[in-house]
Amino acid sequence: MATITAPTSPRTLPSTLKRPAVRKLLTLAAIAAILVPLLTTRWPGTTWPAQLTVDLTTPLTHTSDWIIDNRDTHPLFLYGLGHVSNAVVLSVRAVYLALLTAGWPGVTALAALTAWRVAGPRLAAGTTAAFLTCAALGMWVPTMQTLALMVVAVAASVAVGTVLGLAAGLSGRTDRALRPVLDTMQVLPAFAYLLPVVLVFGIGVPAAVLATVVYAAPPMARLTALGLRGADREVLEAVDSLGATARQRLLTARIPLARKDLLLGVNQTIMMALSMAVIASVIGAGGLGDRVYQALASVDVGAALAAGIPIVLLAVVLDRVTAAAGAGVRPVRRAVWVPALAAAAAVALAARLTGRTDWPTGWTLHIAEPVNRAVDWMTAHLYSGVPVVGGTADWAARFTTWILDPVRAGLLWLPWWSVLLAVAALAWLIGTWRTALTAVLALAAIGVLGVWKPSMDTLSQVLAAVAVTLVVGVATGIAAARSDRFERLLRPVLDVCQTMPQFVYLIPVVALFGVGRAPAVAAAVVYALPAVVRITTQGLRQVDPAALEAAGSLGATGWQQLRQVQLPLARPALLLAVNQGVVLVLAVVIIGGLVGGGALGYDVVFGLAQGDLATGLVAGAAIVCLGLMLDRVTQPTGRRTTKGA
Amino acid sequence: MRLRTTALAGTLLLLTGCGAADMTQQASPFAGARGAKTVTLSVQSWVGAQANVSVAQYLLEHELGYRVDTVQVDEVPAWDALSQGRVDAILEDWGHPDQEQRYVDDKGTIARGGGLGVTGHIGWYVPTYLAKQHPDITDWRNLDKYAPLFRTAESGSKGQLLDGSPSYVTNDKALVKNLHLDYQVVFAGSEAAQITQIRQFAKEKKPFLTYWYAPQWLFEKVPMTEVKLPPYKEGCDADPEKVACAYPHTPLQKYLNAGFAKDGSKAAAFLKKFRWTTEDQNEVSLMIADEKLSPEEAAKKWVESHRSTWQAWLP
Amino acid sequence: MSTVTTTPVFSVDGLWKVFGPKADRVPADPELAALGAAELRARTGCTAAVRDVSFDVRKGEVFVVMGLSGSGKSTLVRCLTRLIEPTAGTIAIDGEDVRAMDRSRLRALRRHRAAMVFQHFGLLPHRTVLDNVAYGLEIQGVSRAERRERAAEFVAKVGLEGMEHRRPGQLSGGQRQRVGLARALAVDPEVLLFDEPFSALDPLIRRDMQEEVVRLHREEGRTMVFITHDLGEALKLGDRIALMRDGRVVQLGTPEEIVATPADDYVREFVRDVPREQVLTVRTAMRIATAEEAGSGPAIRPEATVSEAIEAVARAGTPARVVDSGRCLGVVDAEGLLGVVAGATPPADAAPVVGTPSDPAAGSRAAGAAPDPMRAAPGQRREAPRPPAGTNAEQI
Repeated sequence: MATITAPTSPRTLPSTLKRPAVRKLLTLAAIAAILVPLLTTRWPGTTWPAQLTVDLTTPLTHTSDWIIDNRDTHPLFLYGLGHVSNAVVLSVRAVYLALLTAGWPGVTALAALTAWRVAGPRLAAGTTAAFLTCAALGMWVPTMQTLALMVVAVAASVAVGTVLGLAAGLSGRTDRALRPVLDTMQVLPAFAYLLPVVLVFGIGVPAAVLATVVYAAPPMARLTALGLRGADREVLEAVDSLGATARQRLLTARIPLARKDLLLGVNQTIMMALSMAVIASVIGAGGLGDRVYQALASVDVGAALAAGIPIVLLAVVLDRVTAAAGAGVRPVRRAVWVPALAAAAAVALAARLTGRTDWPTGWTLHIAEPVNRAVDWMTAHLYSGVPVVGGTADWAARFTTWILDPVRAGLLWLPWWSVLLAVAALAWLIGTWRTALTAVLALAAIGVLGVWKPSMDTLSQVLAAVAVTLVVGVATGIAAARSDRFERLLRPVLDVCQTMPQFVYLIPVVALFGVGRAPAVAAAVVYALPAVVRITTQGLRQVDPAALEAAGSLGATGWQQLRQVQLPLARPALLLAVNQGVVLVLAVVIIGGLVGGGALGYDVVFGLAQGDLATGLVAGAAIVCLGLMLDRVTQPTGRRTTKGA
Repeated sequence: MRLRTTALAGTLLLLTGCGAADMTQQASPFAGARGAKTVTLSVQSWVGAQANVSVAQYLLEHELGYRVDTVQVDEVPAWDALSQGRVDAILEDWGHPDQEQRYVDDKGTIARGGGLGVTGHIGWYVPTYLAKQHPDITDWRNLDKYAPLFRTAESGSKGQLLDGSPSYVTNDKALVKNLHLDYQVVFAGSEAAQITQIRQFAKEKKPFLTYWYAPQWLFEKVPMTEVKLPPYKEGCDADPEKVACAYPHTPLQKYLNAGFAKDGSKAAAFLKKFRWTTEDQNEVSLMIADEKLSPEEAAKKWVESHRSTWQAWLP
Repeated sequence: MSTVTTTPVFSVDGLWKVFGPKADRVPADPELAALGAAELRARTGCTAAVRDVSFDVRKGEVFVVMGLSGSGKSTLVRCLTRLIEPTAGTIAIDGEDVRAMDRSRLRALRRHRAAMVFQHFGLLPHRTVLDNVAYGLEIQGVSRAERRERAAEFVAKVGLEGMEHRRPGQLSGGQRQRVGLARALAVDPEVLLFDEPFSALDPLIRRDMQEEVVRLHREEGRTMVFITHDLGEALKLGDRIALMRDGRVVQLGTPEEIVATPADDYVREFVRDVPREQVLTVRTAMRIATAEEAGSGPAIRPEATVSEAIEAVARAGTPARVVDSGRCLGVVDAEGLLGVVAGATPPADAAPVVGTPSDPAAGSRAAGAAPDPMRAAPGQRREAPRPPAGTNAEQI
C-alpha cells in the first residue's frame, strides 16, 4: 500500500511532522546498522532462519488428543464447559421453539411492530417485506434457526461485552489492560477463531455460538467503555454534588448517558454476529449459513443466493432498526409495548388456530434456476473471448502473472530482516513507537511459528487486493461524495456487498477468474470495497464547508477543490479507509483459501477439515499476527471506534 | 478472558442445574423441534454423499415417519461429531484408519454400519478429448512431456495439477516430488471451486490435469480418463512422505453412533441395510448437481423408479 | 436572620489544591510553596490551582469568588464539598471538619447541606425537566410522588411552569439554567454553590438570571457562594468578594472596598472601568463636617451610593449631610464626590472611615500596598478569624 499513500502523503504532511519523521528514520537506521550485520552473519539467507523457529506440532497434537480423550470424563469439561455448552443448547432451543410456535405470521407481526415502535412505519413495512421474502424463498425454517442462534449469541455477547465494558469504563487500570486485547480482537479474521472453539466444544451449535460471542463481544465492550468514559464530566459532577452513591451514579447517570454508544455497540454486535453465524456454518451452526455452504458443495449459485438473500435482509433490517433505536428516532415508552405485544400474540394465535404457522408451499418462489441460468450465461460470455478487452480469465491470468507473482516473489526475495525493518519504519512513521514495536513483534512471531513463506504469500495477496480496493474504492467514494444521486443508487449495492455471505459469490468468482489467487483477491475486493467507499464519501462530505466556500470564492475549479482542499482535509478519513480496507481484505483473503488462494487460508481450512490442530492453529495464529501487523502499520494515531462503515 | 469465562459459567450453571454435564452427549438444539423421532445425518461436501443422504432422508421421512436433520461437516470432524452423538450416521466414508482405531476400537463410541455398496477410487484425470488427441498422455511417465500444455498463471513455468478440497485424502504433493514431475499442485480449496474450474476448462476444450475421484457425477458431464500412476501395492502409501504409487480402490463404509446403533430403532436398522450401486448414486448426484433439482426432489424421483431396490432396506 | 455572629457556614483555612505527582509535598515545603506557577511546574511537574486560601462564608451572605479563568476559583468551590479532594488545609461547615468526613457523612453533606449550580448546567439529557429537578430528591430516596410534587413546586418557582415534561435539549440556555437552579433548590440546602452559572448565557438572559438570584436571596436569605469571572456580576450580587489570581486570594472585601481601595495594581487594573459612583457609598467621599454644614443641606443615608449623593448635591447646590440614625457622620461636597468619580485618592483624613472602624481592614490594604514576602508564609495569616481580615494580602 506504500505505493498508494505515497503520492498524497508528502504534500499533505505538515512541515512540522517532517523532522520527527527524519529523526525516527535515523534512529531506525542506527538500530539496523548495529543489528543487521550481526543477524546476517549469524543466519544468512533471505527466509526466516530455521534456528529461530519453534515447532509446535507435537505439543499441539498432544493437546488435541488429550482433549478428545478426556472430553467426556474430565471434570473441567463435565462441570465447567459442559454446562456452558448445555446452556447454549437449551437457550437456542427455547428461542427456536418459541419462534416456530409463533409461526411466520407471529414472528413477522412481532418484528414489524417492534420496528414500527422503534423506527417508524417505513422501516416496519421494510421489515415485513423482508420477513415475508425469507419465507417466500422457502427459507423460513433456516432463517428461524439462524435467528435463534443470533438471539442467544447476541444476548451473550452483549452481556459479556457490557460487563467487560463496565469494568473498563469504570476503572482506568482495567481499561488499559483490556484495550489492546479488544483492539486486537477486532482486527482478527473470523476464520481464525473457529478451530480452537471446535476442538473444545466439537462441531455444532455450542461451538458456533461461542465463536460468535468471542467475535461479536469486543465491539460491545469497546463501545460500552467508550460511552462510559465519554460521559459529560459536568453532568457526572452534578450527580456527585447531589450526593449520589456509586450505584446511583452508574444506574441513573452513566449508563443512560452512554445510551447512544451502548446501542451502537448492540448494532455492531448484531452485525458481527450475523456475519459470524454464516462463517460458523463451517463448524455446524446450521441455519441459513449451512444452506449456503451446502449449496456451495453442489456448485449451486442459485440455491446459495436463495439462502444468502435472507441473510442480507436480516442484516439490513437489524442494522436499520437498531441504528434507529440508537439515534432515538422516537422516544420509546413502556406503555406502547403492551398493545404491540398483544397484537403480535393475537396474530400468532390466530395463525395457530387456523393452522397456518407453516408457510404455504405454493407460495414459495424458486429463484435458484433463473439465477443459475443467469450466472451460466454470464460466465459463459465473460470468461474468455470478449473482443478487445479479453475475458475475465485473461485478466485473472495477467493479474496473477504481472502483479501477484512479482509482489510475492519480491516479498520472498527480500531478506527477512529487511521486511521487519520496512514494517517498523512504516508503522513508526504513521503511528508511535509502540505500534511499531507491536507490528515488528507480530511479524517476528510469524517467523518463529515457521510459516514465513505462506505468510508472505498471503501478504502479497492482501497488498494486491488492498491496492485494487483503494483505487476503485476511493474513486467511487469521490464520485459518490460529488453526486447525491449516485450515492443513493450506490447505497443498496454497498449494503448487499457488505452483508452477502462471501460463500455466495465465491463460486461465480471462480467461474469468472478460474481457480487460484486471483478469485480470492476479487472476493476480498468485493467485500472490502463498501467500507472504503463509505469512509471516503463520509470523509469528503464532512470537510468543513467554509474551507470549500473559501476555495470556491478564490475561483478554484471543482477538480482543484477536490485535490487541494477536500482530499487533504479528508486525510484522516482516507487513512481510516486504508486501515479498514486492509483489515477487511485480510478477512476474505483467508476465506479465499476455499477457492485456491492457498497460503495461510488453505492451512486454516485444512486444519478445520482434517481436525489438524497443529496446521490450523499455527496458521490461525499467523493470521492473527499478520492482521495485527497490518492494522498497526496502517493505524493513524487516532483509533477508530467502529468496525465496518 | 478468565473473568468472562467464570462469569459466564456462573450464570449458566444456574441455568443448567448443578452436577455434571457431559457435552459430548448433547443433541442439536434444532433437532426434533416438532416432537417427532429424529435422526441426524452427516452430509459431506461432495455430491455423492448428498445423494446418499437425500435418499435415506426421503425414505426415513416418508416410509418410516422420522424427522431428519442434516449437518454439513468435513470428514474428520464428522467422526468426532458422530462419536459425540451430534450426528447419528455417516453414510459414506473413504477410509480414516486413525479415526476408526480411536473411536471404534478404543473408545467404542462408533459402530461400523457395513458397506455402502459403492467402491471409491481416487486418481489423476485428464479430459477424454485430450486423451484422444494425445493417447500417450495417460501414462505418468509422459506427463513431463506435456507439462507446458497444463501451464496456468498459478503454476507458473510448471504444469498445473489441480487438487480439491483440503478435507480430501491426497498424496499429490508427495507424488509429484517422488515421481520427479515438473508439476505444481494447485489446491482449489473446495470441491465447488474445483468443479467450477473443470467445467470452465471443458467448455473451452482446454487441457487440464486434475485430482479426481469416482464415483462422481461430473464424469457424466465432463468425460475424463485416468492417468496411470505406478500401481498400488498394499502398504505402499504407509509413509505419506514417500508415497510413489497410485491410490487404492476403497469400498465405501457406513458408520453409526454406537448408542444409536444399539437402541434398536427402525432408523438404525434401515441405515445398516442401506446399500446401493455406483450407478444408483450417480443418477441421484447428477439430478442434484447438474439438473439442479433440490436433493429432496432428486431423491423422490429416484425412489419412485427404484421401488424394488429400497424395499429391501426397510426393516 | 436574627443571628449576630454565629459560626460561619464555611470556614476555609490554608486550603491548597495541587495537581500532579506527589502533590502533598508542595504545601508542606515552604520553599516549593513560595514558587511561581511556571517554576513549580518545572521543578515538580505539579500545578497549584488553589494556594493557601483562607476565608469564612457567613450565614446569609452572598460570597462571591471572582477571578479570570485559570485563577483556581472553580477548583476552590469544588473543594468545598470535596468534589475535588483538597491537598492541604482545613474546611469546616458549621464547625464540622469536611475533610475528616467519611463517605456517608460526605454524601449527607452533599445531599442536604450544599447544592451546586453548574456553568454548563449538568442536566441529565434523558430526563424531563421535572425528573431533573426531582433528581436530587430521588438520590435521597424520597418517594416518587412526593419528589415530583416538590419538584413541581420548584419548577414553578423558577418560572418554568408548563415545561415540566420537556427535555433539556428542548430548552434554551436560560431555561436550562433555571432547571439547574431548581434542582439545587429542591433539596433545600443550607448553602447554594454557583460555579459561573451564567457565563454561558446571553447578556440579556444573564441579567434576568442575576435578578432571579437576587430575588431568591432576598426571599429566602439562603447562604450562597458564587463563582464568577464577571466583575459586574460580582459587584451586583456579592455581599463580599474574594478576588483570586493564580490560585491565591489577592483581596477580600465588600464591593466598595475592592473598588475604592484596590489591594494592588492587579486589582486596580481590574476595577478600573467600574462605574465607581454606583458602587461606592458616600462614606468614601465624606469629610468631617464643619459646624455650619452639620446643620443644613440635604440628608442622605451612609449606604447611599455616590451617584445618589451627586444627584442630591447637584439639586441642593450645597454639600449633603450623611446622617445615620439622626446623627450626622459628616458631609459630602461636590469636590469630594468628583474626586471619587475621577478615581483620585480619597482625602487622607477620610481613609480610616472606610469600612467598619473595628475592622482591621486597613491592615489588608497596608499589606497590599507594601508587599512583604515574609508575610506570605502560611502561618502568618492566621490572625484573622473575622472577615474581611482573611484577605490574602501577599503580592503576586
